[in-house]
Amino acid sequence: MDTTQLLKGVLDLAVLAVLREEDGYGYDILRRLREAGLEEVGDASVYGTLRRLFAAGLLTTYVVPSESGPHRKYYSLNAAGRDQLTRSGKLWRSFATTMDSLLDDRGMAA
Amino acid sequence: MTVAEQEITDYVARVRAALADLPPGQRDELTEDLADHLTEVAAEAEGTLVERLGEPETYAAELRAAAGAAPGSGRNLDQRVASAVARVRGRLRTMDTRLGPPLGYETASDFLQLLRPGWWVLRGYLAAMLITVISTGGSFGLLPRFGGELLAGMIMLVGFVLASIWIGRSSGRLTRWPRSAVQVGSVVLVVFAFAALIQAEDRMRYGDYGIDPTSVNGPYDQVRDVFVYDSEGRLVENARLFDQNGNPIRLGYPDCEGRVDEYGNPLLRPYPYCVGRAPFGPRGPGVSPPSAPAAISTPTPESTAAPTSGPTGTPTPSGTPGEPSAGPTVTPSDTPTPTPTG
Repeated sequence: MDTTQLLKGVLDLAVLAVLREEDGYGYDILRRLREAGLEEVGDASVYGTLRRLFAAGLLTTYVVPSESGPHRKYYSLNAAGRDQLTRSGKLWRSFATTMDSLLDDRGMAA
Repeated sequence: MTVAEQEITDYVARVRAALADLPPGQRDELTEDLADHLTEVAAEAEGTLVERLGEPETYAAELRAAAGAAPGSGRNLDQRVASAVARVRGRLRTMDTRLGPPLGYETASDFLQLLRPGWWVLRGYLAAMLITVISTGGSFGLLPRFGGELLAGMIMLVGFVLASIWIGRSSGRLTRWPRSAVQVGSVVLVVFAFAALIQAEDRMRYGDYGIDPTSVNGPYDQVRDVFVYDSEGRLVENARLFDQNGNPIRLGYPDCEGRVDEYGNPLLRPYPYCVGRAPFGPRGPGVSPPSAPAAISTPTPESTAAPTSGPTGTPTPSGTPGEPSAGPTVTPSDTPTPTPTG
């Protein structure tokens, strides 16, 4: 099992979590995810996830003009996005706990 | 445009091309800030975009998966048409199996299959009739004619029926275009058949097949005028007929010249309409000039002869009755009419 497969299920949650602390633009979010340890996350995946979460009404965007480079489209969590983050976070925690205890029972070291 | 910009533009174009099967709106939404995003990527790191991000097609596939726009969820027009056709097919299949049992077959199409050879024969006949109508310029009966020739028409009929059967039997082997041509031709023939049936129906209803309508209707339909004679055999003019309810009896129709103006309403016109056409002559003395009063008390021998001996009757001396009401007469006056009671 490689991380990419696991990421598919939780990338939404990861993106929402990264945006919770601070608004960000596409490449910025990607970098933050990688810094957080999700090295294998793909650029297109993050970009596509952002577009989908935006279309689902969980994110709002605003454009920040930049002197050096192109205008940047920033994404930020709205109320629905924060809601979703809370719910998905709880779900993940309970799932992770279940998986942890399952592995613990079988004598796997963490 | 710098090299980097050109590279980004090309990359975006290839990603968009790989997403061409998505609805345009969704594709635009997915890629609207892809160029900006790629500019960031290009600015942050070394190497070409392809080195950094992989081939645009791979990128597009990943983007499509992450955005939840897998093929099938977002569909273009062709796919929507195809799925609509599939839905209609499914409904027809359901109907097919539902309608079968009432007909005594597993499916309705099983039953219709049996009727196919019958349709082939009918199709041949219809084609022959279509040629009949075209070649004779619109008139047709039940048998095909070619330019009015019955024999040629029958030969044509046999040929068309055989050809239609052959086409029907070999329809499985036909390629797409001939098959479409046969289907279009069949539709044309069905439309033609309905049009011809409607025309034939009209002709039947209006008795255009030589049936005399009077033979099936009332015996008075052929009456065109009514002549009333009194007991003396004199023609009664300005007579009116009524039934037991006091309704005027109208027979025939005034089709002779002269008296129409006097009675604008044909229902008010007394009989006979055309005095000159009286079947029995001579005209009674009632219409004779001033000497007539005598005739009332002393009927002349001639008048008794009428109406049975019309041809032998000799005209009265004054027998030039252009004006029927001239002088005192015994004819009923114009005005008195029986008053219906009740």
